[in-house]
Amino acid sequence: MVDFTQALGAGTLVGLVYALLGLSIVIIYRASEAFNFAIGEFLVIGSFLFYIFFFDLRIPLLVALPLGLLAAGLVGALVERFAIKPLLGRSPLSMTIITLGLGFFLRGCVQLIFGSHSYSFFLELPDITQEFGDLLFLSDPIWAGILSLSTFGLILFLLFRTRWGLAIRATSENQAKAMAFGIDARFILLIVWAISSACIAVAGIMISNFGALSSMSSIVGLRAIPVVLIGGMDSIVGALVGGIIVGVCESLAGAYIEPMGLVGFKEVAPYLLLLIVLLIRPYGLFGQIRIERV
Amino acid sequence: MLGIENLRVVYHDVISVLNGISLTLNEKEILIIIGANGAGKTTLLRSVAGMIDFYDGSIVDGDIKMNGASIKGLDATDIMKRFGLTYVIEDRPVFWYLTIEENLGAASFSRWDKQVKADIEGIYSLFPVLEKLRHRKAGYASGGEQQMLAIGMALMTRPKILLLDEPSLGLAPLITEELFSTIEGLNQSGITIVLVEQNAHAALDIGTRGYVMETGRIVLDGSSRELLENEDVREFYLGSGKRERKSYKDAKRYKRRKRWL
Repeated sequence: MVDFTQALGAGTLVGLVYALLGLSIVIIYRASEAFNFAIGEFLVIGSFLFYIFFFDLRIPLLVALPLGLLAAGLVGALVERFAIKPLLGRSPLSMTIITLGLGFFLRGCVQLIFGSHSYSFFLELPDITQEFGDLLFLSDPIWAGILSLSTFGLILFLLFRTRWGLAIRATSENQAKAMAFGIDARFILLIVWAISSACIAVAGIMISNFGALSSMSSIVGLRAIPVVLIGGMDSIVGALVGGIIVGVCESLAGAYIEPMGLVGFKEVAPYLLLLIVLLIRPYGLFGQIRIERV
Repeated sequence: MLGIENLRVVYHDVISVLNGISLTLNEKEILIIIGANGAGKTTLLRSVAGMIDFYDGSIVDGDIKMNGASIKGLDATDIMKRFGLTYVIEDRPVFWYLTIEENLGAASFSRWDKQVKADIEGIYSLFPVLEKLRHRKAGYASGGEQQMLAIGMALMTRPKILLLDEPSLGLAPLITEELFSTIEGLNQSGITIVLVEQNAHAALDIGTRGYVMETGRIVLDGSSRELLENEDVREFYLGSGKRERKSYKDAKRYKRRKRWL
Protein backbone atom coordinates (compact mmCIF):
# COMPACT_ATOMS: atom_id res chain seq x y z
CA MET A 1 0.00 0.00 0.00
CA VAL A 2 2.86 2.32 0.82
CA ASP A 3 4.44 1.53 -2.52
CA PHE A 4 1.20 2.25 -4.28
CA THR A 5 0.63 5.60 -2.58
CA GLN A 6 4.24 6.53 -3.21
CA ALA A 7 3.94 5.72 -6.91
CA LEU A 8 0.62 7.52 -7.12
CA GLY A 9 2.00 10.68 -5.53
CA ALA A 10 5.20 10.73 -7.54
CA GLY A 11 3.27 10.01 -10.72
CA THR A 12 0.87 12.86 -10.07
CA LEU A 13 3.72 15.33 -9.58
CA VAL A 14 5.37 14.34 -12.85
CA GLY A 15 1.93 14.20 -14.42
CA LEU A 16 1.41 17.88 -13.69
CA VAL A 17 4.45 18.66 -15.83
CA TYR A 18 3.04 16.48 -18.60
CA ALA A 19 -0.25 18.29 -18.21
CA LEU A 20 1.52 21.55 -18.96
CA LEU A 21 3.02 20.00 -22.10
CA GLY A 22 -0.46 18.81 -23.03
CA LEU A 23 -1.88 22.29 -22.49
CA SER A 24 0.65 23.83 -24.84
CA ILE A 25 -0.38 21.36 -27.52
CA VAL A 26 -4.08 21.95 -26.87
CA ILE A 27 -3.97 25.75 -27.18
CA ILE A 28 -2.16 25.52 -30.51
CA TYR A 29 -4.50 22.81 -31.70
CA ARG A 30 -7.50 24.91 -30.81
CA ALA A 31 -6.12 28.01 -32.45
CA SER A 32 -4.87 26.52 -35.70
CA GLU A 33 -6.04 22.89 -35.65
CA ALA A 34 -2.47 21.80 -36.10
CA PHE A 35 -0.52 19.43 -33.89
CA ASN A 36 2.84 20.81 -32.90
CA PHE A 37 5.24 17.91 -33.39
CA ALA A 38 8.19 20.19 -32.75
CA ILE A 39 7.26 20.25 -29.06
CA GLY A 40 10.36 18.28 -28.07
CA GLU A 41 12.62 20.80 -29.74
CA PHE A 42 10.74 23.71 -28.23
CA LEU A 43 11.32 22.04 -24.88
CA VAL A 44 15.06 21.74 -25.43
CA ILE A 45 15.40 25.25 -26.82
CA GLY A 46 13.40 26.74 -23.96
CA SER A 47 15.54 24.92 -21.42
CA PHE A 48 18.77 25.98 -23.13
CA LEU A 49 17.67 29.62 -23.26
CA PHE A 50 17.06 29.49 -19.53
CA TYR A 51 20.37 27.68 -19.12
CA ILE A 52 22.17 30.55 -20.82
CA PHE A 53 20.57 33.18 -18.59
CA PHE A 54 20.88 31.25 -15.34
CA PHE A 55 24.03 29.14 -15.59
CA ASP A 56 26.13 31.00 -18.15
CA LEU A 57 25.30 34.59 -17.34
CA ARG A 58 24.62 33.82 -13.65
CA ILE A 59 21.55 36.00 -13.48
CA PRO A 60 19.54 35.31 -10.29
CA LEU A 61 16.80 32.73 -10.69
CA LEU A 62 13.87 35.11 -10.19
CA VAL A 63 15.09 37.25 -13.09
CA ALA A 64 16.50 34.47 -15.24
CA LEU A 65 13.28 32.47 -15.23
CA PRO A 66 11.07 35.24 -16.69
CA LEU A 67 13.85 36.19 -19.10
CA GLY A 68 14.21 32.60 -20.24
CA LEU A 69 10.47 32.21 -20.69
CA LEU A 70 10.28 35.50 -22.56
CA ALA A 71 13.05 34.35 -24.87
CA ALA A 72 11.28 31.03 -25.36
CA GLY A 73 8.10 32.89 -26.19
CA LEU A 74 10.02 34.96 -28.69
CA VAL A 75 11.31 31.82 -30.37
CA GLY A 76 7.74 30.52 -30.55
CA ALA A 77 6.62 33.80 -32.11
CA LEU A 78 9.46 33.74 -34.65
CA VAL A 79 8.65 30.19 -35.62
CA GLU A 80 5.01 31.13 -36.08
CA ARG A 81 5.91 34.12 -38.22
CA PHE A 82 8.26 32.27 -40.54
CA ALA A 83 6.89 28.75 -40.67
CA ILE A 84 3.21 28.85 -39.76
CA LYS A 85 1.85 32.20 -40.86
CA PRO A 86 2.54 31.67 -44.56
CA LEU A 87 0.26 28.66 -44.34
CA LEU A 88 -2.66 30.53 -42.81
CA GLY A 89 -5.91 29.54 -44.46
CA ARG A 90 -4.43 26.30 -45.80
CA SER A 91 -5.23 22.88 -44.45
CA PRO A 92 -4.19 22.28 -40.84
CA LEU A 93 -2.54 19.10 -42.02
CA SER A 94 0.11 21.06 -43.91
CA MET A 95 0.86 23.01 -40.74
CA THR A 96 1.22 19.77 -38.82
CA ILE A 97 3.65 18.43 -41.40
CA ILE A 98 5.57 21.70 -41.25
CA THR A 99 6.00 21.28 -37.50
CA LEU A 100 7.48 17.82 -38.12
CA GLY A 101 10.07 19.23 -40.47
CA LEU A 102 10.58 22.19 -38.20
CA GLY A 103 11.39 19.76 -35.39
CA PHE A 104 14.25 18.26 -37.36
CA PHE A 105 15.51 21.67 -38.36
CA LEU A 106 15.46 22.99 -34.78
CA ARG A 107 17.12 19.82 -33.48
CA GLY A 108 19.91 20.38 -35.98
CA CYS A 109 20.26 23.99 -34.85
CA VAL A 110 20.46 22.96 -31.19
CA GLN A 111 23.10 20.33 -31.88
CA LEU A 112 25.06 22.78 -33.96
CA ILE A 113 25.08 25.39 -31.21
CA PHE A 114 25.18 23.34 -28.04
CA GLY A 115 26.60 20.03 -29.23
CA SER A 116 25.03 16.76 -28.25
CA HIS A 117 26.61 16.24 -24.85
CA SER A 118 24.75 16.66 -21.58
CA TYR A 119 24.81 19.82 -19.54
CA SER A 120 24.42 19.48 -15.80
CA PHE A 121 21.34 21.30 -14.72
CA PHE A 122 20.58 21.93 -11.10
CA LEU A 123 18.39 24.68 -9.75
CA GLU A 124 19.10 25.34 -6.13
CA LEU A 125 15.52 25.61 -5.07
CA PRO A 126 14.76 25.54 -1.32
CA ASP A 127 14.50 21.99 -0.07
CA ILE A 128 10.85 21.10 0.48
CA THR A 129 11.24 17.33 0.64
CA GLN A 130 8.20 15.83 2.35
CA GLU A 131 8.18 12.73 4.49
CA PHE A 132 5.00 11.13 5.76
CA GLY A 133 5.88 7.93 7.65
CA ASP A 134 7.24 5.64 4.96
CA LEU A 135 6.35 7.99 2.13
CA LEU A 136 9.03 10.22 0.68
CA PHE A 137 8.52 12.91 -1.90
CA LEU A 138 11.67 14.59 -3.11
CA SER A 139 11.97 18.33 -3.35
CA ASP A 140 12.50 18.60 -7.12
CA PRO A 141 9.35 16.79 -8.21
CA ILE A 142 7.31 18.79 -5.71
CA TRP A 143 8.70 22.03 -7.11
CA ALA A 144 8.01 20.76 -10.61
CA GLY A 145 4.41 19.98 -9.67
CA ILE A 146 3.86 23.34 -7.99
CA LEU A 147 5.39 25.39 -10.79
CA SER A 148 3.61 23.46 -13.52
CA LEU A 149 0.29 23.72 -11.78
CA SER A 150 0.66 27.44 -11.20
CA THR A 151 1.65 28.00 -14.82
CA PHE A 152 -1.39 25.97 -15.82
CA GLY A 153 -3.56 28.14 -13.58
CA LEU A 154 -2.03 31.30 -14.99
CA ILE A 155 -2.85 30.23 -18.52
CA LEU A 156 -6.40 29.38 -17.51
CA PHE A 157 -6.76 32.80 -15.93
CA LEU A 158 -5.41 34.41 -19.09
CA LEU A 159 -7.78 32.46 -21.33
CA PHE A 160 -10.96 32.80 -19.32
CA ARG A 161 -10.67 36.05 -17.39
CA THR A 162 -8.95 38.55 -19.68
CA ARG A 163 -9.94 40.28 -22.88
CA TRP A 164 -6.93 38.81 -24.67
CA GLY A 165 -8.05 35.36 -23.60
CA LEU A 166 -11.49 36.06 -24.99
CA ALA A 167 -9.93 37.13 -28.27
CA ILE A 168 -7.82 33.97 -28.30
CA ARG A 169 -10.85 31.79 -27.72
CA ALA A 170 -12.82 33.63 -30.39
CA THR A 171 -9.98 33.34 -32.90
CA SER A 172 -9.54 29.67 -32.03
CA GLU A 173 -13.11 29.05 -33.00
CA ASN A 174 -13.09 30.84 -36.33
CA GLN A 175 -10.44 33.14 -37.74
CA ALA A 176 -12.65 34.72 -40.38
CA LYS A 177 -15.34 35.64 -37.88
CA ALA A 178 -12.75 37.03 -35.48
CA MET A 179 -11.21 39.19 -38.19
CA ALA A 180 -14.62 40.48 -39.22
CA PHE A 181 -15.14 41.74 -35.67
CA GLY A 182 -11.86 43.56 -35.49
CA ILE A 183 -9.70 40.94 -33.82
CA ASP A 184 -6.34 40.69 -35.53
CA ALA A 185 -6.40 36.91 -35.95
CA ARG A 186 -2.83 36.75 -37.23
CA PHE A 187 -1.46 38.54 -34.23
CA ILE A 188 -3.51 36.34 -31.92
CA LEU A 189 -2.00 33.24 -33.52
CA LEU A 190 1.43 34.70 -32.92
CA ILE A 191 0.58 35.20 -29.26
CA VAL A 192 -0.78 31.68 -28.94
CA TRP A 193 2.45 30.22 -30.27
CA ALA A 194 4.48 32.41 -27.95
CA ILE A 195 2.43 31.37 -24.91
CA SER A 196 2.61 27.74 -25.90
CA SER A 197 6.34 27.95 -26.37
CA ALA A 198 6.80 29.58 -22.96
CA CYS A 199 4.68 26.84 -21.32
CA ILE A 200 6.78 24.17 -22.95
CA ALA A 201 9.88 25.94 -21.65
CA VAL A 202 8.55 25.82 -18.07
CA ALA A 203 7.96 22.10 -18.42
CA GLY A 204 11.36 21.69 -20.04
CA ILE A 205 13.17 23.47 -17.22
CA MET A 206 11.39 21.31 -14.64
CA ILE A 207 12.21 18.13 -16.51
CA SER A 208 15.85 19.11 -17.03
CA ASN A 209 16.04 19.79 -13.31
CA PHE A 210 15.32 16.09 -12.65
CA GLY A 211 18.56 15.15 -14.36
CA ALA A 212 20.55 16.84 -17.06
CA LEU A 213 19.86 18.77 -20.22
CA SER A 214 20.94 17.64 -23.67
CA SER A 215 19.59 17.81 -27.18
CA MET A 216 18.15 14.35 -26.55
CA SER A 217 15.81 15.70 -23.87
CA SER A 218 13.42 16.35 -26.73
CA ILE A 219 12.14 12.78 -26.39
CA VAL A 220 10.22 13.84 -23.28
CA GLY A 221 8.21 16.27 -25.35
CA LEU A 222 6.60 13.40 -27.17
CA ARG A 223 5.02 12.38 -23.88
CA ALA A 224 2.51 15.10 -24.75
CA ILE A 225 1.03 12.87 -27.44
CA PRO A 226 -0.60 10.32 -25.10
CA VAL A 227 -1.52 13.18 -22.77
CA VAL A 228 -3.61 15.07 -25.30
CA LEU A 229 -4.97 12.01 -27.03
CA ILE A 230 -6.16 10.52 -23.76
CA GLY A 231 -7.56 13.82 -22.53
CA GLY A 232 -9.00 14.97 -25.84
CA MET A 233 -7.16 17.14 -28.36
CA ASP A 234 -9.24 20.23 -27.75
CA SER A 235 -9.86 20.01 -24.04
CA ILE A 236 -7.96 21.99 -21.44
CA VAL A 237 -9.36 19.92 -18.58
CA GLY A 238 -8.46 16.90 -20.66
CA ALA A 239 -4.83 18.04 -20.76
CA LEU A 240 -4.73 18.25 -16.96
CA VAL A 241 -6.42 14.89 -16.39
CA GLY A 242 -4.54 13.27 -19.25
CA GLY A 243 -1.25 14.53 -17.89
CA ILE A 244 -1.91 13.10 -14.45
CA ILE A 245 -3.13 9.81 -15.91
CA VAL A 246 0.00 9.47 -18.00
CA GLY A 247 2.24 10.38 -15.06
CA VAL A 248 0.55 7.93 -12.71
CA CYS A 249 0.44 5.20 -15.33
CA GLU A 250 4.14 5.61 -15.97
CA SER A 251 4.97 5.58 -12.31
CA LEU A 252 2.79 2.55 -11.52
CA ALA A 253 4.31 0.66 -14.43
CA GLY A 254 7.73 1.56 -13.09
CA ALA A 255 6.86 0.35 -9.60
CA TYR A 256 4.97 -2.85 -10.39
CA ILE A 257 5.60 -4.09 -13.88
CA GLU A 258 9.25 -3.24 -14.51
CA PRO A 259 10.46 -5.28 -11.48
CA MET A 260 8.87 -8.32 -13.15
CA GLY A 261 11.63 -8.13 -15.72
CA LEU A 262 9.97 -5.91 -18.31
CA VAL A 263 12.61 -3.20 -18.31
CA GLY A 264 11.53 -0.11 -20.20
CA PHE A 265 7.83 -0.89 -19.89
CA LYS A 266 7.46 2.45 -18.14
CA GLU A 267 7.94 4.21 -21.48
CA VAL A 268 5.42 2.06 -23.26
CA ALA A 269 2.67 1.95 -20.65
CA PRO A 270 1.10 5.35 -21.49
CA TYR A 271 0.79 4.38 -25.15
CA LEU A 272 -0.85 1.10 -24.20
CA LEU A 273 -3.31 2.99 -22.04
CA LEU A 274 -3.82 5.41 -24.92
CA LEU A 275 -4.84 2.55 -27.19
CA ILE A 276 -7.42 1.36 -24.69
CA VAL A 277 -8.86 4.84 -24.15
CA LEU A 278 -9.09 5.53 -27.87
CA LEU A 279 -10.92 2.25 -28.43
CA ILE A 280 -13.56 3.30 -25.94
CA ARG A 281 -13.64 7.04 -26.54
CA PRO A 282 -12.18 7.99 -29.92
CA TYR A 283 -12.21 11.73 -29.13
CA GLY A 284 -10.40 11.23 -25.82
CA LEU A 285 -11.92 11.46 -22.40
CA PHE A 286 -12.86 15.12 -22.59
CA GLY A 287 -12.90 15.74 -26.32
CA GLN A 288 -15.43 18.44 -27.03
CA ILE A 289 -18.81 17.43 -28.32
CA ARG A 290 -19.22 19.59 -31.38
CA ILE A 291 -22.27 21.80 -31.52
CA GLU A 292 -23.71 20.87 -34.85
CA ARG A 293 -26.83 22.28 -36.37
CA VAL A 294 -28.21 21.29 -39.67
CA MET B 1 -18.20 58.04 -49.19
CA LEU B 2 -17.16 54.66 -50.60
CA GLY B 3 -16.32 54.28 -54.23
CA ILE B 4 -15.40 51.15 -56.10
CA GLU B 5 -13.81 51.56 -59.48
CA ASN B 6 -13.57 48.81 -62.03
CA LEU B 7 -12.72 46.20 -59.41
CA ARG B 8 -11.45 42.83 -60.58
CA VAL B 9 -10.90 40.02 -58.10
CA VAL B 10 -9.40 36.63 -58.75
CA TYR B 11 -9.33 33.63 -56.44
CA HIS B 12 -6.35 31.26 -56.36
CA ASP B 13 -4.87 33.26 -59.25
CA VAL B 14 -7.22 31.66 -61.76
CA ILE B 15 -10.88 31.96 -60.86
CA SER B 16 -12.09 35.37 -61.86
CA VAL B 17 -15.07 36.33 -59.74
CA LEU B 18 -15.43 40.07 -60.09
CA ASN B 19 -14.95 41.36 -63.61
CA GLY B 20 -14.88 45.11 -63.30
CA ILE B 21 -17.34 46.31 -60.70
CA SER B 22 -17.95 49.97 -60.15
CA LEU B 23 -20.31 51.34 -57.58
CA THR B 24 -20.70 54.15 -55.13
CA LEU B 25 -22.06 54.23 -51.64
CA ASN B 26 -23.51 57.46 -50.31
CA GLU B 27 -23.58 58.41 -46.69
CA LYS B 28 -26.60 57.35 -44.61
CA GLU B 29 -28.22 55.20 -47.29
CA ILE B 30 -29.23 51.56 -47.41
CA LEU B 31 -27.63 50.14 -50.51
CA ILE B 32 -29.05 46.84 -51.70
CA ILE B 33 -27.05 44.41 -53.78
CA ILE B 34 -29.01 41.54 -55.27
CA GLY B 35 -27.91 38.78 -57.53
CA ALA B 36 -28.03 35.03 -57.96
CA ASN B 37 -25.66 32.62 -56.23
CA GLY B 38 -22.15 32.94 -57.57
CA ALA B 39 -22.68 36.47 -58.83
CA GLY B 40 -19.82 37.70 -56.64
CA LYS B 41 -21.75 39.58 -53.96
CA THR B 42 -19.87 38.06 -51.04
CA THR B 43 -16.56 38.53 -52.82
CA LEU B 44 -17.39 42.19 -53.28
CA LEU B 45 -18.00 42.62 -49.55
CA ARG B 46 -14.84 40.68 -48.65
CA SER B 47 -12.81 42.96 -50.90
CA VAL B 48 -14.22 46.09 -49.35
CA ALA B 49 -13.67 44.79 -45.82
CA GLY B 50 -10.02 43.93 -46.55
CA MET B 51 -10.50 40.23 -46.02
CA ILE B 52 -10.08 39.03 -49.58
CA ASP B 53 -6.51 37.81 -49.09
CA PHE B 54 -7.65 35.67 -46.18
CA TYR B 55 -9.79 33.74 -48.65
CA ASP B 56 -6.87 33.42 -51.04
CA GLY B 57 -8.22 36.00 -53.44
CA SER B 58 -6.51 39.07 -54.76
CA ILE B 59 -7.51 42.35 -56.31
CA VAL B 60 -5.91 42.36 -59.74
CA ASP B 61 -7.32 45.58 -61.07
CA GLY B 62 -9.31 48.60 -60.02
CA ASP B 63 -9.50 50.41 -56.75
CA ILE B 64 -11.57 50.81 -53.62
CA LYS B 65 -11.67 54.35 -52.31
CA MET B 66 -12.93 55.68 -49.02
CA ASN B 67 -13.58 59.41 -49.16
CA GLY B 68 -11.28 59.58 -52.17
CA ALA B 69 -8.31 57.70 -50.65
CA SER B 70 -7.51 54.17 -51.70
CA ILE B 71 -8.02 51.48 -49.05
CA LYS B 72 -6.85 48.67 -51.29
CA GLY B 73 -4.46 46.35 -49.47
CA LEU B 74 -5.30 47.58 -45.98
CA ASP B 75 -5.86 45.02 -43.24
CA ALA B 76 -9.37 44.20 -42.09
CA THR B 77 -8.65 45.52 -38.60
CA ASP B 78 -7.16 48.72 -40.07
CA ILE B 79 -10.19 49.36 -42.21
CA MET B 80 -12.45 48.80 -39.23
CA LYS B 81 -10.51 51.12 -36.97
CA ARG B 82 -9.99 53.90 -39.47
CA PHE B 83 -13.30 54.01 -41.25
CA GLY B 84 -15.68 52.27 -38.85
CA LEU B 85 -16.50 49.70 -41.48
CA THR B 86 -17.79 46.41 -40.09
CA TYR B 87 -18.48 43.36 -42.19
CA VAL B 88 -21.02 40.88 -40.86
CA ILE B 89 -20.07 37.74 -42.73
CA GLU B 90 -22.50 35.27 -44.18
CA ASP B 91 -24.39 32.67 -42.19
CA ARG B 92 -24.56 33.98 -38.62
CA PRO B 93 -21.01 34.95 -37.75
CA VAL B 94 -21.27 34.30 -34.02
CA PHE B 95 -18.81 32.30 -31.95
CA TRP B 96 -20.70 29.13 -31.14
CA TYR B 97 -18.63 28.05 -28.18
CA LEU B 98 -18.69 31.41 -26.43
CA THR B 99 -21.65 32.61 -24.41
CA ILE B 100 -23.75 35.41 -25.80
CA GLU B 101 -22.18 37.87 -23.39
CA GLU B 102 -18.69 36.70 -24.32
CA ASN B 103 -19.60 37.09 -27.98
CA LEU B 104 -20.47 40.72 -27.40
CA GLY B 105 -17.24 41.14 -25.45
CA ALA B 106 -15.16 39.56 -28.19
CA ALA B 107 -16.69 41.87 -30.76
CA SER B 108 -15.59 44.89 -28.74
CA PHE B 109 -11.97 43.71 -28.66
CA SER B 110 -10.81 46.55 -30.88
CA ARG B 111 -12.13 49.11 -28.42
CA TRP B 112 -10.36 50.35 -25.34
CA ASP B 113 -12.87 52.88 -24.04
CA LYS B 114 -14.91 52.55 -20.86
CA GLN B 115 -18.25 52.45 -22.65
CA VAL B 116 -18.18 48.77 -23.53
CA LYS B 117 -20.27 47.64 -20.56
CA ALA B 118 -22.87 50.30 -21.20
CA ASP B 119 -22.96 49.39 -24.88
CA ILE B 120 -23.59 45.74 -24.05
CA GLU B 121 -26.55 46.82 -21.94
CA GLY B 122 -27.66 48.92 -24.91
CA ILE B 123 -27.61 45.84 -27.13
CA TYR B 124 -29.68 43.99 -24.54
CA SER B 125 -32.30 46.71 -24.55
CA LEU B 126 -32.36 46.59 -28.35
CA PHE B 127 -32.71 42.78 -28.35
CA PRO B 128 -34.23 41.82 -24.97
CA VAL B 129 -34.18 38.14 -25.86
CA LEU B 130 -30.38 38.18 -25.82
CA GLU B 131 -30.32 39.30 -22.22
CA LYS B 132 -32.28 36.25 -21.12
CA LEU B 133 -29.77 34.01 -22.88
CA ARG B 134 -26.66 35.96 -21.93
CA HIS B 135 -24.91 33.04 -20.26
CA ARG B 136 -25.91 30.45 -22.83
CA LYS B 137 -23.50 29.32 -25.55
CA ALA B 138 -24.40 31.06 -28.79
CA GLY B 139 -24.32 27.75 -30.67
CA TYR B 140 -27.46 26.71 -28.83
CA ALA B 141 -29.40 29.85 -29.71
CA SER B 142 -31.93 29.76 -32.52
CA GLY B 143 -31.21 31.11 -35.97
CA GLY B 144 -33.05 34.35 -35.36
CA GLU B 145 -31.36 34.88 -32.02
CA GLN B 146 -27.98 34.23 -33.60
CA GLN B 147 -28.64 36.77 -36.30
CA MET B 148 -29.70 39.34 -33.72
CA LEU B 149 -26.54 38.57 -31.80
CA ALA B 150 -24.50 39.00 -34.98
CA ILE B 151 -25.99 42.45 -35.50
CA GLY B 152 -25.49 43.24 -31.84
CA MET B 153 -21.85 42.23 -32.17
CA ALA B 154 -21.46 44.40 -35.23
CA LEU B 155 -22.90 47.32 -33.25
CA MET B 156 -20.34 46.71 -30.51
CA THR B 157 -17.67 47.77 -32.98
CA ARG B 158 -19.45 51.15 -33.26
CA PRO B 159 -19.73 51.02 -37.03
CA LYS B 160 -20.32 53.89 -39.36
CA ILE B 161 -20.73 51.54 -42.31
CA LEU B 162 -22.24 48.11 -41.90
CA LEU B 163 -21.86 45.45 -44.58
CA LEU B 164 -24.49 42.77 -44.10
CA ASP B 165 -24.12 39.56 -46.05
CA GLU B 166 -27.47 37.82 -46.43
CA PRO B 167 -28.70 38.28 -42.90
CA SER B 168 -32.03 36.66 -43.74
CA LEU B 169 -30.39 33.36 -44.70
CA GLY B 170 -32.40 30.52 -43.24
CA LEU B 171 -34.75 32.70 -41.21
CA ALA B 172 -38.52 32.45 -41.14
CA PRO B 173 -40.32 35.23 -43.05
CA LEU B 174 -41.68 36.77 -39.85
CA ILE B 175 -38.22 36.91 -38.25
CA THR B 176 -36.80 38.31 -41.48
CA GLU B 177 -39.35 41.09 -41.40
CA GLU B 178 -38.41 41.91 -37.82
CA LEU B 179 -34.73 41.84 -38.72
CA PHE B 180 -35.20 44.17 -41.66
CA SER B 181 -37.09 46.67 -39.57
CA THR B 182 -34.21 46.56 -37.10
CA ILE B 183 -31.82 47.27 -39.96
CA GLU B 184 -33.99 50.17 -41.02
CA GLY B 185 -33.84 51.47 -37.45
CA LEU B 186 -30.05 51.24 -37.42
CA ASN B 187 -29.95 53.22 -40.63
CA GLN B 188 -32.14 55.92 -39.12
CA SER B 189 -29.71 56.18 -36.24
CA GLY B 190 -27.09 57.19 -38.77
CA ILE B 191 -25.36 54.01 -39.90
CA THR B 192 -24.75 53.57 -43.61
CA ILE B 193 -25.75 50.07 -44.66
CA VAL B 194 -24.83 47.81 -47.54
CA LEU B 195 -27.22 44.90 -47.63
CA VAL B 196 -26.53 41.90 -49.82
CA GLU B 197 -29.64 39.81 -50.21
CA GLN B 198 -31.31 37.00 -52.09
CA ASN B 199 -34.57 38.06 -50.56
CA ALA B 200 -34.87 40.84 -53.09
CA HIS B 201 -38.38 42.00 -52.34
CA ALA B 202 -37.92 42.56 -48.64
CA ALA B 203 -34.53 44.14 -49.18
CA LEU B 204 -35.62 46.57 -51.87
CA ASP B 205 -38.55 47.57 -49.68
CA ILE B 206 -36.24 49.09 -47.08
CA GLY B 207 -33.43 50.11 -49.45
CA THR B 208 -32.57 53.50 -50.86
CA ARG B 209 -30.76 52.36 -53.98
CA GLY B 210 -29.81 49.02 -55.42
CA TYR B 211 -27.47 47.23 -57.76
CA VAL B 212 -28.11 43.97 -59.56
CA MET B 213 -25.07 41.74 -60.00
CA GLU B 214 -24.61 38.89 -62.36
CA THR B 215 -21.47 36.82 -62.97
CA GLY B 216 -19.15 39.40 -61.53
CA ARG B 217 -20.65 42.45 -63.18
CA ILE B 218 -23.18 45.04 -62.33
CA VAL B 219 -25.96 44.76 -64.83
CA LEU B 220 -28.48 47.20 -63.45
CA ASP B 221 -28.71 49.95 -60.92
CA GLY B 222 -31.21 52.48 -59.76
CA SER B 223 -33.35 53.54 -56.87
CA SER B 224 -35.15 50.78 -55.03
CA ARG B 225 -38.44 51.88 -56.50
CA GLU B 226 -37.07 51.71 -60.04
CA LEU B 227 -35.67 48.26 -59.44
CA LEU B 228 -38.88 47.01 -57.88
CA GLU B 229 -40.73 48.12 -60.97
CA ASN B 230 -38.17 46.94 -63.48
CA GLU B 231 -39.60 44.12 -65.53
CA ASP B 232 -36.41 42.05 -65.64
CA VAL B 233 -35.83 42.33 -61.94
CA ARG B 234 -39.42 41.37 -61.31
CA GLU B 235 -39.07 38.33 -63.45
CA PHE B 236 -35.69 37.04 -62.29
CA TYR B 237 -35.53 38.10 -58.67
CA LEU B 238 -39.04 38.80 -57.51
CA GLY B 239 -40.64 35.90 -59.32
CA SER B 240 -43.61 37.98 -60.37
CA GLY B 241 -43.16 38.46 -64.08
CA LYS B 242 -45.50 37.22 -66.74
CA ARG B 243 -47.59 34.44 -65.34
CA GLU B 244 -47.74 32.07 -68.30
CA ARG B 245 -46.20 28.65 -67.66
CA LYS B 246 -43.13 27.76 -69.62
CA SER B 247 -41.31 24.51 -70.10
CA TYR B 248 -37.88 24.30 -68.45
CA LYS B 249 -36.16 24.40 -71.83
CA ASP B 250 -38.02 27.51 -72.86
CA ALA B 251 -37.26 29.22 -69.61
CA LYS B 252 -33.57 28.44 -69.96
CA ARG B 253 -33.32 29.75 -73.48
CA TYR B 254 -35.32 32.77 -72.54
CA LYS B 255 -33.12 33.48 -69.58
CA ARG B 256 -30.00 33.15 -71.65
CA ARG B 257 -31.36 35.64 -74.12
CA LYS B 258 -32.32 37.95 -71.31
CA ARG B 259 -28.90 37.97 -69.64
CA TRP B 260 -27.35 41.37 -69.58
CA LEU B 261 -23.98 40.27 -70.81
